[in-house]
Amino acid sequence: MPQVRIIAKNFMDMVASLPAIKLDKLYENAFICEAILRSLPPLAKKYVLQLLYIDVPVTANSLQEWVLADGASKHRVAVDRLIQLRVFTETVDRKKEATYRLNPMFQMNLREHIVHGGVLPREPMAANITVRLPSLEELDNYAAQQWECFLLHLINSAEAEVTTKSISASMMKVFQRGLLSQRDREGSRLTESGFQFLLMDTNAQLWYIIREYISNSEDRGVDSADLISFLLELSFHVTGEAYNINTLDDVQRTTVKDLADLGLIKLQQGRKDSWFIPTKLATNLSISLSDASSRKQGYVVVETNFRLYAYSTSKLHCEILKLFSRVEYQLPNLIVGSITKENLYKAFANGITADQIISFLQQNAHPRVAERVPSVPENVTDQIRLWESDLNRVEMTPAHFLDDFPSRDVFEAACDFAREYSSLLWEDSKKMRLIVKTEIYAHMKEFLNNQK
Amino acid sequence: MTSVTTKQYTDDVSLLMVLVDTNPLFWSSTTTSFSFSKFLSQLLSFLNSILLLNQLNQVVVIASGFNSCDYVYDSSLGPTNQRVETLLQKLEEFVSKDEELNRDDSVDGIGSSLLSGALSMALCYIQRVFRSGSLHPQPRILCLHGSQDGPGQYVAIMNSIFSAQRSMVPIDSCVIGSQHSTFLQQASYITGGVYLRPQHLDGLFQYLTTVFATDLHSRNFLQLPKASGVDFRASCFCHKKTIELGYICSVCLSIFCQHHKKCSTCGSAFGKPQTSDSTTNQKRKAPDT
Repeated sequence: MPQVRIIAKNFMDMVASLPAIKLDKLYENAFICEAILRSLPPLAKKYVLQLLYIDVPVTANSLQEWVLADGASKHRVAVDRLIQLRVFTETVDRKKEATYRLNPMFQMNLREHIVHGGVLPREPMAANITVRLPSLEELDNYAAQQWECFLLHLINSAEAEVTTKSISASMMKVFQRGLLSQRDREGSRLTESGFQFLLMDTNAQLWYIIREYISNSEDRGVDSADLISFLLELSFHVTGEAYNINTLDDVQRTTVKDLADLGLIKLQQGRKDSWFIPTKLATNLSISLSDASSRKQGYVVVETNFRLYAYSTSKLHCEILKLFSRVEYQLPNLIVGSITKENLYKAFANGITADQIISFLQQNAHPRVAERVPSVPENVTDQIRLWESDLNRVEMTPAHFLDDFPSRDVFEAACDFAREYSSLLWEDSKKMRLIVKTEIYAHMKEFLNNQK
Repeated sequence: MTSVTTKQYTDDVSLLMVLVDTNPLFWSSTTTSFSFSKFLSQLLSFLNSILLLNQLNQVVVIASGFNSCDYVYDSSLGPTNQRVETLLQKLEEFVSKDEELNRDDSVDGIGSSLLSGALSMALCYIQRVFRSGSLHPQPRILCLHGSQDGPGQYVAIMNSIFSAQRSMVPIDSCVIGSQHSTFLQQASYITGGVYLRPQHLDGLFQYLTTVFATDLHSRNFLQLPKASGVDFRASCFCHKKTIELGYICSVCLSIFCQHHKKCSTCGSAFGKPQTSDSTTNQKRKAPDT
């Protein structure tokens, strides 16, 4: 199944893939230690806490003794993760016994945190300097709007040009890479992964974009470790508080500008100072993908007669629904459509899978239907899956047809040869004809020449 | 792709209600070097570490004093950077207020603190969280208790325990006194929590982090201390004495240490007591050791 490859599933996977030296340097920042700890599986968190005040290496056995038989796999996962992130250093002594100890830098930072409590990365500005801060609700709206604008821009550069102000063209190129295929004549067109991208939830989309942003950072002359540490630090700021922009260095300032375009941050200018206000998108960055506490309210109701009602005013939602349904009419706050075979075929042709459509409908179910099980009627989900499997009834394999064998022996030998490579698709022993896969054809020819 | 059934909250997000014993009579009686201030510094580190584990974790501290109990700290309110200061300040206010209230009609004699009140407050808070919507962390209660049990609170505490059991809230107990607490043994046993009386109180922090910091999800895979024996003895409703043998009302299950004409709880009339060799209407509640 073609997918948007989320190589690193979240921030921490990306951190884990950094080289050891960079990783050790990252742990000098207390916020990163905190974010790393929070990203660990529950069992791993417990181990870290347990070993926090133990200075000598602990044997693997003494750790394992805490775990019940059922949890052995979870234990393995937890310890592997800790070693992968270099939070644990594993040493195997002469008696072949593994011992673990915490990364000293990491340990020190966490101890500090536990004794002194959490500190903020930087002090928010006093209320009398900042003019008027947006309320949390306004901020959320701003973030959602900005993000939506960005997505619209992403899928439909021409149309959105008017609405979005200033996402720099070069940045946009970075983000569009992989999602849009550039064709000179007919303009850009969404690729398969682009369609799938649109159906993901906001957190997943955000992560995808941020990952592109980070992996591209070296080209812009920014150290990826610095960028990661800044982004993580950002997620520890308090949503809705203003922070003075002068506390940032140059690199961070340009980063902040880019992030403001995505809706992660709101920039405001006062008389003398300017400041940035992190939105929920930014503070949720370090949370893992599965954690959907920032989930938006759903808006889609699907009926058993394949009608689809979306209570939404958003243009983006309409665009997304158009990917797999026929929008029949649009009222100020309601989009009415129906899921038809033709539209689904179009979606499948674009590389969207039935499961993705169904999961999108389920994830965005209107609160009224979300409580029901299942939230999308079963006959609809079944039908979507059936229509998808309809398309896969015929499987195509490039092949070659061979006949006119000089003798039965040669024919049999050829059949066996093809079978050996599991490339024999069809044989007719009476008329001595067979069909083999294309990839083996060259070998086959060689084989037959040798037979003669 | 993200999975279809993304959970609203990950499994290990917890709401920890910590009940702290601030009974001055207990803390003044501790003979060991383990003082209240030492206890507090270890507790504060523990609270910090709980909040460190997950940004959605929530900690609420309820102080149960000699005469009253009150919320001392709630991590969902207020900024993160002045946790300790706010907690200590509130605690100080609470202790001095607790001192002013003079409990005249002390049924239990000296030395017990208001565990029942604190438990009820914790359960009320949890109920409020449950009702706030489908998005809520997994609650659990941790009792850090040192003073001896007050038999007068038996009914109230048992009611709290059963209500906790009903709402699937485990009650963990860490007994810091010199004696085991029957109430807390039962509470943890019934609600599926952990009961522990640390041997070395100086290392309280290590006990707290290794045992009590474990979230409910991870507990399924871990071997946590098991109660070695639970004292199931009940207190009678009439004199609040802990009894092994007694009378029990067949209608409302109230327990009495001697025969009455009528149940003081539900009012049903009792028949004559049978001769002492017959044990038909006597309910035996033996300690299960």
